[in-house]
Amino acid sequence: MNHTSGSDVKSQSELIEELRKRQQFRFQLGVYLSWLSLLIILLFAFSGLEAQFLGIQIRTIKLDFQFIRRHAPFIAGGIGLTILLSFFSIILASCLAFLGALGRLSKIPFVYALATFYISLIRGTPLLLQIIFFYLGLPQLGIRLSGMVAGILALGINYGAYMTEIFRAGIQSVGIGQREAALAIGMTQRQLMQRIVLPQAIRLVIPPIGNQFIAMLKDTALVSVTGFVWEILWRAQKQGRAYFRNLEALFIAAIFYWILTIIFSLIQGRVEAYLAKGDR
Amino acid sequence: MPSIVDVCHLDKYFGRLHVLKNISFSVDATEVVCIIGRSGSGKSTLLRCINFLETPDHGSISVDGIVINASESGRSYHRRLHKIRLKTGMVFQSFNLFPHMTVLQNVIEGPITVKRTDPKEAIEIGKYNLEKVGLTDKRDEYPSRLSGGQQQRVAIARALAMQPKIMLFDEPTSSLDPELIAEVLNVMQQLVEDGMTMLIVTHEMGFARNFADRVIFINEGHFVEVGSPDQIFSEPQDQRTQIFLDALKRFNQAENK
Repeated sequence: MNHTSGSDVKSQSELIEELRKRQQFRFQLGVYLSWLSLLIILLFAFSGLEAQFLGIQIRTIKLDFQFIRRHAPFIAGGIGLTILLSFFSIILASCLAFLGALGRLSKIPFVYALATFYISLIRGTPLLLQIIFFYLGLPQLGIRLSGMVAGILALGINYGAYMTEIFRAGIQSVGIGQREAALAIGMTQRQLMQRIVLPQAIRLVIPPIGNQFIAMLKDTALVSVTGFVWEILWRAQKQGRAYFRNLEALFIAAIFYWILTIIFSLIQGRVEAYLAKGDR
Repeated sequence: MPSIVDVCHLDKYFGRLHVLKNISFSVDATEVVCIIGRSGSGKSTLLRCINFLETPDHGSISVDGIVINASESGRSYHRRLHKIRLKTGMVFQSFNLFPHMTVLQNVIEGPITVKRTDPKEAIEIGKYNLEKVGLTDKRDEYPSRLSGGQQQRVAIARALAMQPKIMLFDEPTSSLDPELIAEVLNVMQQLVEDGMTMLIVTHEMGFARNFADRVIFINEGHFVEVGSPDQIFSEPQDQRTQIFLDALKRFNQAENK
């Protein structure tokens, strides 16, 4: 055993804790180093260099870095719009998902049918198609939407259908005993929902909503098909086409999406840790 | 004494299972009635019919003058049902505290949300009832940090805060560790001494014997025997009561060894 000084003999639990910490540190260090090496390999793949490795000729993708440097700021100008699209869409999706979940749990046949019909229709068709449909179809009804609004509607309605199940599970996770206790003190169905069920359901629902938000960040790229929303991918494609540097432009867009995702994943992790720390 | 609860010709079915068969009885003001019987005998269902957590199929129930017939529906029915729930306090076997609220919030939730009591006044009511169950110092804790016995005492305080005419207890000690049962029974004893009207479904024969005015033995949806604790526990008339009590005695002896 390794005593630092003669008098302080460590207890067994302290030693186990120390060992556990050391193992955890070693694991994390390994993870960081591996990430770094994978990143270097990825960068090398785009370096345009050629290398001999064990007698094999390795070729890499050659990019015009001057183009990247010059046009990255223009493409970065779409970041705000991408976040804005995701933000409004996830709010719309959450509202629809909540209503959808209530519908899925309803005992009124028509309400239940409305919810399941919505979910079936939206989950049964591609998101890309829905976006185009909102942009091209609604004007025939005299509803003229900007690409931005059509995009938010399509994304919100689409994600709302998928998130309905998340909300339903959240609401159902609040046990029958909670409902009975609330009814027994005289609460109405509405009070029971507002005061007892939703506050408990929301805790369970927030982490998966974060997940959906991160997925949505990238699905906003599909809105570029309307041709009038200057988000990241649209800007990238515009510059790429104009200068015949499609690969470079997409490379820039990919980096921005990735960085955004990493940032929001970190935020999500924080939120989850906060929620877990609560009073449960 | 006027009766607080009147149950008339009550029938309850779960699908084709006839759980309660033509039950009639009443509970007078300040009376303490214990219902005993084996599991599946219908004792919890009977209790839950009184505040309509279960809807009876036939018969009528009246609580403090509010009458509901099983055949009713509509707005007037719902208004009376709400009144009955305000007049009954219920304590569950599994406590069912609201986990996202502190102890005090649990207790004042009913007064504030349901009765629209002024929050300041509600807090006073909350403190008073927490003191009653001996948990003043836990008022800002969340339920997950309390023992089962403490949680059940909070649940009692939550029901009391609504100032009910009658307290319904549905096996209040059945999910507690043996060493925690006494603290809940002590609170219940305090309520008996305060003159609270109580209807208690329980397996605690000691409590029933010492504090009940009447004991009802229920079996397969029928009242087999109703009487004073002395009658039921010392000289049960019906064979089924004897068998049930003997089985319980043997079980308790085996546990105490």
